[in-house]
Amino acid sequence: MNALFSLSTTTKSRLVGAVFIIFLLIAWEVAVDLKWLKIYKFPPPSKCWEAFVELFTSGFPIEQTVDIHIGWTLWRIVQGYVLGCLLAVPLGVVIGSYSLLDKLTAPIITFGRSVAALSLLPLVIFWFGTGEAPKIAIIAYGTFWAMIAHTIAGVKFVDPLLIRAARTLEADQKFIFLHVVIPAALPRIFVGARVALGVAFMVIVGAEMIGTIQGLGALINEARNFYRADITLIGMALIGLLGLGISGVLQLLERILLPWNKGLEEVRR
Amino acid sequence: MSKGLVRAKGGIVENIDHKLNSKPENMQKVSHNSVKISVENVSKIYQVADAEDVPVLKDVNIDIRNNEFVSLVGRSGCGKTTLLNILAGLVPPSSGIVRIDGTTVTGPGDGKGMVFQQHALFPWLTTIENVAFGCKSKGMRKADRTEIAMDLVKLVGLDGYQNHYPRELSGGMQQRVAIARALALDPEILLMDEPFGALDEMTRLEMQDELLRIWEVRKKTVVFVTHSLTEALVLSDRIFLMGRNPGGIRREFSVPFSRPRHRSSVEFLEMYEDIWAGL
Repeated sequence: MNALFSLSTTTKSRLVGAVFIIFLLIAWEVAVDLKWLKIYKFPPPSKCWEAFVELFTSGFPIEQTVDIHIGWTLWRIVQGYVLGCLLAVPLGVVIGSYSLLDKLTAPIITFGRSVAALSLLPLVIFWFGTGEAPKIAIIAYGTFWAMIAHTIAGVKFVDPLLIRAARTLEADQKFIFLHVVIPAALPRIFVGARVALGVAFMVIVGAEMIGTIQGLGALINEARNFYRADITLIGMALIGLLGLGISGVLQLLERILLPWNKGLEEVRR
Repeated sequence: MSKGLVRAKGGIVENIDHKLNSKPENMQKVSHNSVKISVENVSKIYQVADAEDVPVLKDVNIDIRNNEFVSLVGRSGCGKTTLLNILAGLVPPSSGIVRIDGTTVTGPGDGKGMVFQQHALFPWLTTIENVAFGCKSKGMRKADRTEIAMDLVKLVGLDGYQNHYPRELSGGMQQRVAIARALALDPEILLMDEPFGALDEMTRLEMQDELLRIWEVRKKTVVFVTHSLTEALVLSDRIFLMGRNPGGIRREFSVPFSRPRHRSSVEFLEMYEDIWAGL
């Protein structure tokens, strides 16, 4: 008991959190055992574990094991995400640099952001068929709008004092753009990168509805066809974990590329 | 000395009516020492959409000598920062001319370094990179600009902090970097816009002494904006008191004391009182 009291407050609160989750899982298990919850609607942890083992060994649908699903999902997200960013960042930088362009495009960007990526599903099928292209296009579309909005804001809202300071140091327009505006915009562009990543993971389930049984989104769709709530839950959890992992990589990248920004990072959280 | 100059008590030379001082008299006054910056009939009017024009500065005339330390003192709204920005070439005057060494000022840079109230350091650059920014923008080689920057980092007492980012430095240290950065292109004029205004009192006093020490090493013509009369008295050769509505120079004082000055000496306090009494 003494050992428990000597733990730091953060460790204690984490411990309390873990105990609470374990309690919930046990309660869930018990509730199904007592028939308060129906097993096919709310598969308990033990059932989900079995489904997880099944997914690992024989696969679901048969022979589609978990590594195949994760691999495909990751590959599509990477392609769509990179494509979306490659289009959005240069365009955003240009738009943010010219206030006239910014005023002209502002309504289009608000409009584009408001159109849910998934509502484009029928269109991308008409345009690109049912192969990989429509899936990547959907992800790129979602990524693009989040990324461009943040890039424009980053370029537009550079502290004017920094630009004035650069002017007193004999910097010309081009030098100011490259050495003040761009670095000053980077933190906001990274925020956009993180938001866009979230969007990519949100649309993946929809994107993988199109003509495939491979990928975590496809896994969830297939599970629906077979009334497998347990597989759905596993699919959801895997997408969540994957998103968490990639977001961690992005954060690491930001810390390496923008070491000076650590302080802001702490403030933002 | 001309009619505008009156010998006041406590050894103050006071120029009672600055505006009436015509140009030739000004030239005469400073003839023993060459004029570095001359401000001639400068006015600034800000145009606000759908409102009456706001006159910020009206008919400002000043001559600042080479290597002189001059302060512009006044409450907020007297246009002292606007005047400094006009001297810097960051803001064009609505009418009138600013000349440096006889040449009209048309833009920033070109022998004019500037230090701002908020340090205005580039947060993504380390101390030494911030100091070297001006040299880099002029296309200087890395080895050369690093050497210049390191000398300045040492001059402002930050040896050992050259690889720190601005956010890792205290307010006083940030302003030291800003001073070093402004000195990197070896400007003949240093313009300072309430550079210590955001610092705590202790740091502020320390930085005043530091600035004077740096100024002794690298002689510059300094124009220093402050709202603190004490600060101006500690630092300056001459003080211009500015007033509002419209903004302009109301009075001018020469500070006769030698440096370092003692903020609590009788003469110092007397002069402070006299200036206040005259406001």
